[in-house]
Amino acid sequence: MKKTLSILLALAMLLGLATAAIAEEDWITLRVETYDREITGLDVTNCWQLHYAQEHFGDPNHIKLEFVSFARWTEGDLLTTALAGGTAPDICVTYNGGLVQQCIDDEGIWQLDDLVNEYGANLKAFLGDELLTYGQSDHDGDGTPEQWYLPARRISRANVGNFIREDWLKALNMEKPTTIDEFTAYLRAAKEAQLAGENTVPFSFGIYAPDPLFNVRRFTDAWVDFSQVSEEDWFANARTPEMLPGAKEGFRWLNTLYHEGLIPETFALTDNDEANDTALIMGYNGFFSQQPDQPWRTDKNYEIEMEKNVEGAHWVTVNPFQNDSLGGKHLHDIYAPAGLSIIIPKTTSEEVAVAAMKYLDWMAIPENMFAMQNGLEGVNYEGLNEDGIPYGVKSADDVPDENKMHAGDICFISNGLCYGDDAKNAAALALPFKGYEEDVKASYADSLSDAWTQISFPVAIQAETDYGATVKSKQGEFLAAVVACDADAFDETYDQYIQETLDSGAAEMIEEFRAAYQAGNFRGVYPGNL
Amino acid sequence: MSMYTNSVQRKTFVPPANNHQKGWLRRDWRLYVMLILPIAFYLIFCYKPMVGVLIAFQKYNMFKGMWGSKWVGLENFRFTMGMADFKYALRNTLWLNFLGLVVGFPVPIVLAIMLNEMKSVGLKKVSQTLLYLPHFLSWIIIGGMVLQIFSPKTGIINATLLRWGVIDKSIPFLSSGPHWQATYTLVGVWQGMGWGTILYLSAITGINPELFEAAKIDGANKMQQIWHVTLPGIRSTIVVLLILSVGQMMNISFDRPQILGNPQVRKYCDVLSTFVYRTGITNSKFERATAIGLFQSLVGLVLISAANIVSRQLGEDGIW
Repeated sequence: MKKTLSILLALAMLLGLATAAIAEEDWITLRVETYDREITGLDVTNCWQLHYAQEHFGDPNHIKLEFVSFARWTEGDLLTTALAGGTAPDICVTYNGGLVQQCIDDEGIWQLDDLVNEYGANLKAFLGDELLTYGQSDHDGDGTPEQWYLPARRISRANVGNFIREDWLKALNMEKPTTIDEFTAYLRAAKEAQLAGENTVPFSFGIYAPDPLFNVRRFTDAWVDFSQVSEEDWFANARTPEMLPGAKEGFRWLNTLYHEGLIPETFALTDNDEANDTALIMGYNGFFSQQPDQPWRTDKNYEIEMEKNVEGAHWVTVNPFQNDSLGGKHLHDIYAPAGLSIIIPKTTSEEVAVAAMKYLDWMAIPENMFAMQNGLEGVNYEGLNEDGIPYGVKSADDVPDENKMHAGDICFISNGLCYGDDAKNAAALALPFKGYEEDVKASYADSLSDAWTQISFPVAIQAETDYGATVKSKQGEFLAAVVACDADAFDETYDQYIQETLDSGAAEMIEEFRAAYQAGNFRGVYPGNL
Repeated sequence: MSMYTNSVQRKTFVPPANNHQKGWLRRDWRLYVMLILPIAFYLIFCYKPMVGVLIAFQKYNMFKGMWGSKWVGLENFRFTMGMADFKYALRNTLWLNFLGLVVGFPVPIVLAIMLNEMKSVGLKKVSQTLLYLPHFLSWIIIGGMVLQIFSPKTGIINATLLRWGVIDKSIPFLSSGPHWQATYTLVGVWQGMGWGTILYLSAITGINPELFEAAKIDGANKMQQIWHVTLPGIRSTIVVLLILSVGQMMNISFDRPQILGNPQVRKYCDVLSTFVYRTGITNSKFERATAIGLFQSLVGLVLISAANIVSRQLGEDGIW
């Protein structure tokens, strides 16, 4: 009797184990790339958003979600390595367009047409057909483009933010400059008056090594003579704004500023970011240029920290870079409607690729997106206003660790906070910056005026893959040289570096961009058409 | 490292006569077992990856791997070596290494002799520790220090000299090409000189003390002892290290030029490693990076063989 019982018990246990194993097999793991900005207290691999998504999406679908941390500022290199090593997450996101193009060329990622059509109805509705075309290209050459990646939707496309010290203007008894001449006069007066003592450097300026002219062209484009630049020339020089007719004088202006001591003497040295950040916070500078909401963002806290150091100091938007050849328009470049790229590597099995698409689709449903982007009422924000937009948004420091979040890095199908329609989204841009709402609004208004959409090409530009990095490095060299060289040697230096840039691959890039333009394969806006 | 210390000790170490007799395996098997680990290390981490150089001859598809990629012959070599920046990178690599060798090679020898002549053991130990210290600093930290010391206006040197009125314009340590190369070289010498003394000090220790005593009895003063006893005693060490340095002429570390360099002196600071990083890794063109790497290795092999032959011609031991 005893023996039979024990056999029965053993059998029951085996059966139990077997069912457990079956249940376990039923679950799949979905690994999702997640940017890590090293926000203190936020562990992106174990955060509130992950638990929310697990509970509302993962558990009902028998999918175990796993967030894989990628450092935000080196994501491109990290992802390249992960893809090459076959260890990339199932959903990868990147701003590195060249890498995505290579993945398409090498057929290392899933073609998404079927997946999107079958499982991505909400996603399609959220992104829209026009935006989806950014992720399409005709790789097999049959005349119909295929969907290779999903572009995130950019909620705000503004890129340029120029800021001037309101307190300095007051001290100098000057109006806010609206032309380059007035602006230059302001810089000189600030230096003359030594408004921050002997540390005064009116113009905060550095070289952004990954793309040296990306931030500089917002100044130098003001000198471009559009009577000499055709639409074709504009697109052909997509990555070489320094070569547009007239731009040279813009660089000469920077050279003058440098020799008058209006730009930091160390602008070209490495590790400048930190030095420049410190100078801004200490109140040494009278002008800087970054993103439209940068002074008030909590990652750098330029405004709040500066106010602590200098009484009455305040950043306001300024818009002095008029282009005379366009009837005095103040040009601003804006991002294309497509943000980062979302891909599914080929190393992911079909079953998991389906789960990945389901997850992206789940994210696109408005209530899920709202939760993933805003968190909890009373924890991450105080309440909702009449438009349904959160107010009293708390900074990371004021939220307990387990509720800390970074909206954009996890709800990545939307680059920016989305509340439904464009008007609401625009209104929401300034809301998180309590006390500075009007400043932020004014800055966005400036940055969206006379705006031209940045250039991109829907086809692979081989020359850019081959020479893009070299040309950018050459442009860094160019910028350092033309800004710092003796004024007498400026023309010679400028010409020499233009030639060297052309020789290092820019000539091939320009030629290929031109051909793409002629074939109608281009996106973006020619300022002459504004 | 064991290679050179052996060559120094070879003079004094007399192998037991029965070394080659039968039964060596049974008697010394423990020693041979200990050898398995380093041999495995070399096989797994040095020889196995060598197969990967094949991608230098491919249009490498990182998803299909080495066996699924197309062969393109010497295309990658043609492309990378045809790039305008390649010749700067090559020139700077050789020139900076040459400067490092000319300026940096003798320093540890002089330093080792000086340390050896120190009478006070305590002082000697303290100096040695202080000299080794920079070797353990990462280049990131040194890069920060260099910026603090050599910056045009706020750097300690320029600020002091400007204040004292010694100069009326900052010295462009980091922003003019030749100045930068000098800064680069001297910072490198400073960082490596202490560490470099270790081998020489051990070689000096290996010199038979009787030679010094004999020299003293013959009336040789300190300088004469150094010249006629110490230096000849460490000559073979010097030669071996020189050969190895010459073999390294084509190789240059990545962190040091990358961190100390800046766009203003790119033409003077861009070297093969930074060039490879830019055109190969950041562009995910691994095959091009590999092609340059293979090229460097081949030139390195030629250089080291040449140096070895020359040293044998001069009657030294060489490294093989």
